[in-house]
This record gives sequence, structure tokens and C-alpha cells, in this order.
Amino acid sequence: MLLPAPRGAQDDSRVLSRGAALLWCALAMATDRPLAPGTIRILRAVVDAIRPRGHGFDQPIDDDVMRDVQAFFPFLPPALRLGLPLGLRLVEFGPPLFGHGRTRFTAMPRAQAQAYIASFAHAGGLRSALYLGLRTLVFLAFYQHPDVLRGMGIDWQGRAVEQTTRRAALLDRHGA
Amino acid sequence: MAPDGAVPPEHRLAYPNVTAGATVAGDLTLSADAVVVGSGAGGAVAAGRLRDAGLDVLIVEEGGLHRTESFTTDPATMIHRLYRDAGTSMILGRPGIIFAEGRCVGGSTVINGGMTWRTPARVLERWERDLRLDGTGPQAMDPYFVEAERILHAEPNQEDTYGRNTHLFLEGARKLGWPVARAPRNMRRCVGLNNCALGCPTGAKQSMLVTEIPRTLATGSALLTDARVDRVLFKGTRAIGVRGRLLDARGRKRGRFTVRAGLVVLAAGARHTPGILKRSWLLARPIGRGLHTHPNAKVVGLFDERIDPWRGTHQAFHIHHFLEQGILIGYAAVPPGLLAAALPGIGAENAEHMAQYNHMLTAACLVEDEGEGRVVLGPDRQPVMLFDLGPKDVATTQRGVRLTAELLFAAGARRVLLPFDDLTALDSPDELDKIDARPPRAAGIELMTVHIMGTARMGTDPRTSATDASGAVHGTDGLVVADASLIPTSVGVNPQESIVALALRNADRWLAKRGRPRAATPAVA
Repeated sequence: MLLPAPRGAQDDSRVLSRGAALLWCALAMATDRPLAPGTIRILRAVVDAIRPRGHGFDQPIDDDVMRDVQAFFPFLPPALRLGLPLGLRLVEFGPPLFGHGRTRFTAMPRAQAQAYIASFAHAGGLRSALYLGLRTLVFLAFYQHPDVLRGMGIDWQGRAVEQTTRRAALLDRHGA
Repeated sequence: MAPDGAVPPEHRLAYPNVTAGATVAGDLTLSADAVVVGSGAGGAVAAGRLRDAGLDVLIVEEGGLHRTESFTTDPATMIHRLYRDAGTSMILGRPGIIFAEGRCVGGSTVINGGMTWRTPARVLERWERDLRLDGTGPQAMDPYFVEAERILHAEPNQEDTYGRNTHLFLEGARKLGWPVARAPRNMRRCVGLNNCALGCPTGAKQSMLVTEIPRTLATGSALLTDARVDRVLFKGTRAIGVRGRLLDARGRKRGRFTVRAGLVVLAAGARHTPGILKRSWLLARPIGRGLHTHPNAKVVGLFDERIDPWRGTHQAFHIHHFLEQGILIGYAAVPPGLLAAALPGIGAENAEHMAQYNHMLTAACLVEDEGEGRVVLGPDRQPVMLFDLGPKDVATTQRGVRLTAELLFAAGARRVLLPFDDLTALDSPDELDKIDARPPRAAGIELMTVHIMGTARMGTDPRTSATDASGAVHGTDGLVVADASLIPTSVGVNPQESIVALALRNADRWLAKRGRPRAATPAVA
């Protein structure tokens, strides 16, 4: 039967769940701040490893990509706001754990860093999720950059202005 | 806004009676005859119907009010504004499924593709015959679909909106002898900008943001934005209102709010509606169960010719030829920043793929899933979705991917990129059998969805359903559901019109129960 739970049972579980929620919120609030300098340093190395290169994608826009990636952080759910900085630490200190030598990620040459990050793709579990999340953030910031779009011959925003005007005129003309 | 002064009507809409929770200092207590939680396809329509019958209606929306004239084509900007969790939601399971839903006034209708399909007759017949849901058969639902299509302004795309991707999609289907279905979409003179997923800057998409919400506000409904409902308030088994938190522009908690109302309508979507019910200490087992995901698998064709997928409308046509097998085939233009994440590799490898962006046709198969997942509460008391793709659904997905790849080769693709981690591409139609030979493994399939449903399903037995045949939550009084949670089985097509039609049908039943026959819908403001 779908009724509010008996009073006693409610109270016990409420105490437990509220405790968990408070702990969670405390952790989430701890992440509700600008990223720490150490985290930013790792993130910059991640951007350097993941960002597209060659084939017309050599625009010097890493600073803009960094800014856009960081702008996403406050909008992520608490679990990710908590998890991403921790995940970046895993990237930084993971090479010895995952058989990629003793060097920290941020000290690796680019080719080695790329091979290391790419190995997360098929690692499964949290590492795969981290890989997917980081490349999604970097690619979104990179490929939507105005310089990159211009290089690809894409002017979506210009077309938006043009088509908005055209539609308004069509509606005016036909009374649609 | 258009530079020469020509401004579409959707840029001039008035939104009276709106309170932004982000600007309220302190706590807030409100009252109404009916409080509607959520302003998407179900919530906006239910609110309109209740207001037309004379009820004092308050709509509570977790997201903000973003007007059409503020929309841009930049994903990084629009995803923050319009999507829940900045578009990072996942359905956990095997495989993990990327899930996107709107969190703004108008809900997911602001970011969907605008498909306006009726629930297939075979599905409705099953609801009426097997599930014994009276008045859900094709004949009984027909007037509600007619009304839904009027509200949604369903019309097909005009030919001057077709891009090269549309022509190639049609060419592939023609060569294979597959009939195509011209898609009705909720739009008013679409001009083929192809920015549906980030909000339509031209105003053509007739989302709830530009239709039912301003209409019902103009007739006296009120809207509280930036306000997240945590739970339903009860007196005994009777719902007496809702309680929640006001949010700032980033979704962080501010003050509290309480709404007292004799009728509580939950329309927060198939993830959050069961979440609110569970947080309200409704412990019935069916709440949150029965999750259908209607997942889609992306298949990208690479062509020698330039397609410019960002020019021209998307999904002007679908292929429904395989619906009986649980497969629907469509196509869309995905912005480079989003498509790149679905293509393999990083650095130069990804760049090599993306250099061909203007030569890509992105198609997808949507799968009518038979397996069922569920929604549970996470440690932060927010709903978490769990779903495993069953063996039959894996087989259907592989069949759908094969059919979609076949269509792309028939259209002239020289290479087709697949959503499998162990079979990433095919270079000729002779290789299509490789898809059939692939081990039926769920974990390696890349899927996404925007069509979850079924988590507070309608039914006559409280042991197997969360709501009754009118969407009222079993065992309670004054608490009803009006979103995709109600849908008892996967509908196999885009669910927007099904949600609207069910909301209209059920609202009439709630009103009849309260002795208030529905009023005629006034003309659009």
C-alpha cells in the first residue's frame, strides 16, 4: 500500500539519510570554490594531451579552452564537482599504479601523456568514465571555439541571425 | 534579434506573474488551488487545462526563464542554461547511457528535436487490452491527440528547409526500398537552422516556452522559477502541498519555499518525479520501477561530397518501416563540440576524424527497449537511474545499427563509424555482416537517450503500478502525475505527443472528480 511510512520507521531512516545528506552537502560545499592551483595545473596538462592537433586544428587557444572548461565546473552536479578534482589527482599520481613509469603526469612529455590518458579509455570503471568526461569537456570547449569553427567553415551563429530575420519576414509576409 | 527590425512573434512574448526564486530574499510561502511541479510537455499542458477550468494554478520550475531572444548557437553557453547537470547526466548500468533533459521553463520541449508522433495504435491497444487502462485505446485517445497536435502546432518541414543530409537520407531509403515517414514537428514555419537541441533562436519550435506557458500565465496562472521541490506535504494520505528550496543561477540552494495546494501535480520528468515521491516517504515498490530508456545508437556516415550538416533541418523524415521490430531510424546534425566526444581518440586521432565534419551524416537508430530499469535515491537524496540493456535489447540495437549503416552506404557513404568499442568502423557494405558477427555484448555499445519513461506507470493494480488509470498516485488523495513517468510501456517513438495527450486526458479526469468540467481552451495569447 502506498501510504506515508509508519511514524517510527520514518524517524529512524530520516536520521540516517539526513546524516548522509549532510555529509554529502558538506563535501559538495567544499568543492564549491574555484579550483585549487594544483588542480588547475593538472587540468592544463590534460587539455594539452587531449586537445586536437594537426588537420587544421592547431589554433593556439589552450587558455580559452581552460577558461571554458573551468566555467563548466560550477554547473556540474555535486558528485562530479567532488569527483573531478579527485579524478585529476588520480591522473596525476596514477602512472606508477597503472604501469606507466614513475613520472607524474604533469612531468610527462606530450606523447607519453597522450598514451597514458588514452589508456584510460579501455580501463573500465571510474577511469573510463573520467576519460569520457574530460575529453567531452575539452572537445566541447575546443571545437566550439570561434577560431576553430571559422577554420571548419562553420558560421552557425551568423546563420542563426540570418534565418531569424528570414523567418520573421516570412511570417510577416504570409501572416502565418 | 534580427538586425533589420524584423522580429519573430516568439521574441515579443510577455511572461506575466513570474517570480524568480533566484531573486527572492529569505523564505517564501504560497498557496494555490493546484501546484504543478515542472513546466515541460506534461506540466505546462496540465497547468493550462486546470487554469482553463478556473483553478488558481501555480507552476514551480527548477530551472530559469530563458527567453527565446536570448538563445545562441553556442553549446557551452546554452547547455549551462537549459540542461540539467550541464548535460552530464548518466544512466548507470551496462552499458552506461548518456542522458539529457531540460531544466528550464518549458523543460525538455525547449531542447528536443520537435518530433510529434502519436503513440502507435498497437501500443495503445496493448494498454487498453492487456493493462486494462480504460480509455487509452486508439479511438478514445484520438480527440486528445488532435488537441495535442493543435497545442504543439504539429506540421511537416517545408522543402526549402532540407539540407544535403536530408536528401542523402531520402536517397539511401529510396535505394533500399524503405518507405520514409515525413515527420510532423512542433514548429511554426521552421527555417532549418538545425539548432533544436540548444533552443531555437528563430522561435520556430513551438515549445512550451512559447505556447502553453505564456498562454496560461496570461490567463492568470503564476510561475515560480529557480525552485526545486524536495517533497510533497501530506495530511494523512491527502497531499496538501509541496516544499523545496529556492536556487541561485548556478543551482545552489538559497531559501526555502512552501506551497499549499489542494491538488499537487508532479510533472518533473521520469527521473525526478519518482525521486520526489520517494523523498516524500511513499514507499510503494512500483515507484521508480519500470524505467524504459528508448536508447539511441549513433551511426556516422563519411561521404566524399561536402554535406555541411549544420545547414538545413534535421529529422524532417524518419524511417518507421522497422517499428514492429522495435527500431526507428532518424538523423540529426550534432554540433562539432558534441559530435567529437562520440568519435574515437584524442589529439591528432580525433582531429583526423573531425576534419571531415562537413562530410558527415549523423544518423541513429532508436530502440524500443523491453528491459526495465529503475530510479533509486542516491546518498544526496537525488534520483539515480539504473538500467541494464537486456539480451533482446542488445540484439535489437545491433540490428538497428546494421540497418542504419546499410542506409548510409546506400546513400553513398565511403565509410561508416559505429557505436561499438570492438567494431568502430566499416569501409564497405560487404563488411555489414561483421555487425551480425559481433558478440552480443552490452558493455561496449555507446548509447544516449532523451526519452526515459515509465517510472510511475499507470495501472489498475497498486502492486505493479504507481498510479491509477488517471495518473493519480495509488493510496493518496490529491496527488497526480503528468509526465513521461506515467507511460506504462515503451512507446517506440519520440514521446512528446504521448505525454501531452495523456496530460490532457488525465486532467479532464481530475477535474471531473472534483466536479469541475473542463472549460474550452481560450485562443492562444
